[in-house]
Amino acid sequence: MKADKCGHTWKMTDVRDGFIVTEKCYHCNLLRVYFSPEETPPKEEYKEGEHYWDYAGSAQSIQFNMRCSSCGKLVTFENLVGLMHCIGCDEGCYLNTVSRICESQNIWVYAGLCYAAGSEIDLAADKLEVLTDYFGSRLRTPGKKILVLPGSLRRSPESCRGELLKDVGLLSLEPES
Amino acid sequence: MKVTDLETKLKLKPVNQVYDKDIDGGFVSDMVSDVMAGAQAGNVWVTVQTHKNVVAAANLVDIAAIIVVRGKKIPEDTIQMADRARMTMFSTDLDTFQVAIKLYEAGIRPKT
Repeated sequence: MKADKCGHTWKMTDVRDGFIVTEKCYHCNLLRVYFSPEETPPKEEYKEGEHYWDYAGSAQSIQFNMRCSSCGKLVTFENLVGLMHCIGCDEGCYLNTVSRICESQNIWVYAGLCYAAGSEIDLAADKLEVLTDYFGSRLRTPGKKILVLPGSLRRSPESCRGELLKDVGLLSLEPES
Repeated sequence: MKVTDLETKLKLKPVNQVYDKDIDGGFVSDMVSDVMAGAQAGNVWVTVQTHKNVVAAANLVDIAAIIVVRGKKIPEDTIQMADRARMTMFSTDLDTFQVAIKLYEAGIRPKT
């Protein structure tokens, strides 16, 4: 098959603007995150199952897919909320440990955070590899590498203070509530 | 052009260690998502943003240096992260438009 033999040259495609929305259940304090492609982030409270979800914040961001410019293969990232850079907030976190080891070799680790139905899931290994290949191909500093790993390497998603790549501090661009 | 050349020509004030990388083109945006999608390795990035995820985004796409305009104060945690990522951050009192003009006058062209 052509796709199997292709070395793949990934290009970002289907770039969609939207918001990373965080909601919190005001009964059990559970947090959930999702990407909304709507022009304004939804802020209404609503009940779903046993949870009462309340808007807890939003930030502008993008979603995208990847297409190989050689063979045309499309890889979708509909569940990817964003890439997160570890800031080393938790000495006991495996992502922190891996990040520190990698940084000493000029390999920069980003976690691909994925959510489905509001709950965090891991991005499939082949999709992590596509992101690693794509962002790696954009580098030109000799020896520098990018490695995209699953978000589940974090010890505690609730307390993690890693830098999710999103547009914070653009309040003037956010619609009035 | 090197980052140190740019520092001299535009009279920029470094807020951390200067990492003397080659500059190839420029990128102007205040959105990290724009940078993720559109900036290219070696670009100098002009922005008003000072949050530390600016550094995380710049590092992801191999930006050569960041110029923060309009004299915005850059938080210490952002500066620390920039040093960790070996990313030069400059501060200037000029606004984005003025910096873009000066970059052009200094010979920086859009990367094609």
